[in-house]
Amino acid sequence: MEINEDDEEELGFSRNYFLAKELGGGSTKKSTRKISDIDVVDEQELRAAVANIEPKHEREIESLLNGYKSSYSKWVFDLRCGFGLLMYGFGSKKGLIEDFVSTALTKYSVVVINGYLQYVNIKQVMTALAEVWWEQLKSKRRTPSKILPKVQQPFSSKSIEDLLAFLDCPHENGSDSFVCVVVHNIDGPGLRDSDSQQYLARMASCSNIRIVASIDHVNAPLLWDKQIVHSQFNWCWYHVPTFAPYKVEGILYPLILAHGGTAPSAKAAALVLHSLTPNARSVFKILIEYKLSHPDEEGMPVDNLYSTSRERFLVSSQVTLNSHLTEFKDHELVKIKRNSDGQDCLYVPLATDSLQKLLQEINQ
Amino acid sequence: MAPSASAPNSPPPCATETADNDLQPFFVLHKASSQKCYKKSGGSGKTRRRIELSPSLLSNGENAEIENADEFHYHQNVNMRIEAFHAVWSEIEETIKDVLRDINMNTFKAIYHWVNESFNTISTSERLNFLEATRSFPIVTNVASKQLFTGLVLTKNMEFVDDQMTFKELGMHLKSKGCHVANLSSLDFSAKNGIGGCLKSLFREFLLVTLDAVDISVLTTWYRKQQNCDSAMVIIISDMEQCHGSILSDFILMLSEWVLKVPVILIMGVTTTPDALRGILPSNVIQHLCPRKFILGSPSERMNAIVEAVLVKKCSSFSIGYEVAVFMRNYFFTQDGTITSFIRALKIACAQHFSLEPLSFLLQRFAVDDNNEGLQCEMHGISAEMILKQAFDLPSYRINKLGEQSMESLVRGFSELKNLQRHWSIVVLCLYEAGKWSRICLLDLICEALDPELFKLRVSSPNGFHNNSQASHIEPSMCKQYHRPQKGGFIRQAVRSVRDLPAVQLSKLLKVWEKITVDVPQIHEKVMELLSLLKFEEGKTSKEDMDEISKSARRYASRNHLNIAKVSRVVNDKAARLLESMVRNHMEPVECAPFHEIVCFKSIDKLKGALIGDPRRRVQVDLLQFQDIIQCGCCRTCNSLSPSMHDSSIMYSLAQEHGDLINLHDWYQSFKSVCLCSSNKGKHGSKYSPSPKKRKVVAGIAKPSEASIQARFCRAVTELKIVGLLQMPSKRRPDFVQRLAFGT
Repeated sequence: MEINEDDEEELGFSRNYFLAKELGGGSTKKSTRKISDIDVVDEQELRAAVANIEPKHEREIESLLNGYKSSYSKWVFDLRCGFGLLMYGFGSKKGLIEDFVSTALTKYSVVVINGYLQYVNIKQVMTALAEVWWEQLKSKRRTPSKILPKVQQPFSSKSIEDLLAFLDCPHENGSDSFVCVVVHNIDGPGLRDSDSQQYLARMASCSNIRIVASIDHVNAPLLWDKQIVHSQFNWCWYHVPTFAPYKVEGILYPLILAHGGTAPSAKAAALVLHSLTPNARSVFKILIEYKLSHPDEEGMPVDNLYSTSRERFLVSSQVTLNSHLTEFKDHELVKIKRNSDGQDCLYVPLATDSLQKLLQEINQ
Repeated sequence: MAPSASAPNSPPPCATETADNDLQPFFVLHKASSQKCYKKSGGSGKTRRRIELSPSLLSNGENAEIENADEFHYHQNVNMRIEAFHAVWSEIEETIKDVLRDINMNTFKAIYHWVNESFNTISTSERLNFLEATRSFPIVTNVASKQLFTGLVLTKNMEFVDDQMTFKELGMHLKSKGCHVANLSSLDFSAKNGIGGCLKSLFREFLLVTLDAVDISVLTTWYRKQQNCDSAMVIIISDMEQCHGSILSDFILMLSEWVLKVPVILIMGVTTTPDALRGILPSNVIQHLCPRKFILGSPSERMNAIVEAVLVKKCSSFSIGYEVAVFMRNYFFTQDGTITSFIRALKIACAQHFSLEPLSFLLQRFAVDDNNEGLQCEMHGISAEMILKQAFDLPSYRINKLGEQSMESLVRGFSELKNLQRHWSIVVLCLYEAGKWSRICLLDLICEALDPELFKLRVSSPNGFHNNSQASHIEPSMCKQYHRPQKGGFIRQAVRSVRDLPAVQLSKLLKVWEKITVDVPQIHEKVMELLSLLKFEEGKTSKEDMDEISKSARRYASRNHLNIAKVSRVVNDKAARLLESMVRNHMEPVECAPFHEIVCFKSIDKLKGALIGDPRRRVQVDLLQFQDIIQCGCCRTCNSLSPSMHDSSIMYSLAQEHGDLINLHDWYQSFKSVCLCSSNKGKHGSKYSPSPKKRKVVAGIAKPSEASIQARFCRAVTELKIVGLLQMPSKRRPDFVQRLAFGT
């Protein structure tokens, strides 16, 4: 009967889709009200209000989370059997997963990857994993002598292939010794590209690694092909809605009612800058300083920025500067406006106080 | 979110440290401690574990000592179950590997033979001295010497994931015969890494080192210096169609230039047809290939062989129940269609079984120990008494109401279970052999053979075998979808095919049955009788061999044909009746036997949940049925939107009444009216209007401020964006968000 149910689901889906299209299409009158018609409170106040939203149903949510604790032993069992755990359902699962690993997996080392951030360097993660695994092996003091010569070279100078081979290397302690990798938002912006997924999948298939990941996006499974999903990640799915707020996961998203929802917050900008090179950060600092010292101007002319950056030995050529600028533009940290002389001017679309805060963070 | 916020019982980590960690791309949460994890967990865990260990024990009140003892036993039990899982699964995995290897062995042998021939051709065409061979440029004499021997291995399967293992096995087979083998895949032929990346992988495979500078002359030097010139170098590209065309072309051109120095033989996996080569490679590259075609076993052949080895012959004694079998078959046919996914489903089923069934650790002993003597002794701290207590508490024991609760009766029960499994396997194999003539899939057959209801029907009405209605209840959906015969089911079809078998095939079938049933004398004798009857009838027609009968029948068609047909029809009828009686008397599904829970996995829901995540539907249901999931009193009582509901839940419910585009202003106003409603009364219709004036909402709490409503709105929009149900406003439509999911 499953097939009939599937058919019905399919029908329901297409019916809903066309109904929605009809509702939103040209046949019915589309609402023309503007977002600016909403009397939006001051951005500062809005941000403060966001930070102080009163949680609802705390008690029920707490008991829901406590209910999941009874599954911890089952999850450990699955990990020990060689599966990866994939948690899904509405609500942030960060707290739940970290609680699980810190109470039920104390016997094993745990490395956490925050996939909700913009940029995660998989090579660095693997190096850290290899170091942790090496320490774990050493502490057991039953290290097979075969491995020793291979790890004389520091892990940071090893290639990803070598690191993967090391993590997959059989050892004397049996299958019950492994490093657990927690990946919050394996479908997050920092890990969404196919290369990262390929490496994560290869990492997950290593015999000494177990992975506990969470997904939030409803279409996350589209990231994986059959090879990755069946042979490498080897997921056991668990539906664990928590209804916990996506506090950290949502930090990079602009508030829809602030600046028309397009400008980044100082916090988000700081996060992006954190992942850039020191030189790029210094170039950005020049832009902020210019904006603060010339509040009435449209922005800093590009030529001006180039010469200043060059003077400070931050860039050696226009090409290098352009690559930094592209990065800024991609993350909407910088916008271009043409001034009265016809020059392209760069400015940071943030309020003065946010700029000051950001400057402080960069200087730290 | 800080972990402590959601996990009130866990020790709260330092707040700043947590916040710092949240913004780090990665961090080490903790390092392995030597402490046992069960000592660290809180009190709630103890109760939980006891529940899992033995539900029956919970009803009695126990003191702390018993709890500690229970906890110790629980951990012993878990460790034994995990150990048993690894033992059982590695056995199943090995069996699967062997089965697949056996199916491909003939092709592998043919490939090796061809590799040898090709190598000899290359090496006899031009003999090079060491100096010539290690010069850093290729030797070109004539066009013919640039030919690259290429084996195209047709997998007959679009699902490449199933063939990965096959190519690894092929590589190992060739290596065992002394060839140098490099296993590459389409990932090595990507545009991003270019030809350099591909050569790096190649060198890594042959030379076992990663080189920064790649030059093919390194390979020639390695080949000559290693004094391995007596064996061929085989490069296996497992998925040719997935490779980037120009990279593969460059690779082939380069190899063809060097083929005299490095006698490379190429083997490529092709999922479609050999014509696919023309689609990927230009003609000037194809002319360098000297192709040979090889064909692997078909997916259905492999599937049948795996099911036979694992689920029928039961290499490990692990069984699945009827519902699980039907689910796995449907999953295979309708969801994924790959053998890999079927094996994964089986692995999850196996792991779930060991995780859910406290006595499952006995399975390991059950498989090894013929006399079940292992049961009688104390095992690693788990006392026989405890085993008995749990075993006699199993539903299958209680239903069957067997006699005294002693170790002897448990051992007896186990022996009977084993016997039952053996008989069931034998009958299913006989049916399968009979059904082969009408191409019955083994998985279909075992689904029917595992049905306990059908078995009871057969036993209760001996003539019920011929009743069409009985078997049809499991098949309708599948029959409709896959054009299977709806009437009678697969078992009946197999029996019918025995009646219709020509004499020669019948004789062959009986000989196969003779081998299969050798362990069950009562069936074996009857098969022997039939065989002797067939021979006796053959003797009457003065022919010794049924093949000859057929030949003579063709020669003297008019006279002998009738005689032979008559002879075989009698035997056919008898064979069919024998098969029917075997099905009725010996094919008892495992679920009918006492203690079957120990060896048989039946929790279809657990398997389904772990195997198939459905985030698209489930996340929407989470939002729309928020109150059911968190079981709150206030939101549950009303059918309409309550301000006490989760903000994202309110927002998503409101979004349902919009089209594919949602006007942010309208949406906000609707949301605001829900948040503000405190004293509205009246009817609460299930349909909402975007207009706040028309909205009917239920009583709520203290009125929130404008800023807090806006903040909640913003956060809910962000949350819906994170879960992928919304697309944020674009430059073209700054006042609208777009819905991305329609219906659950």
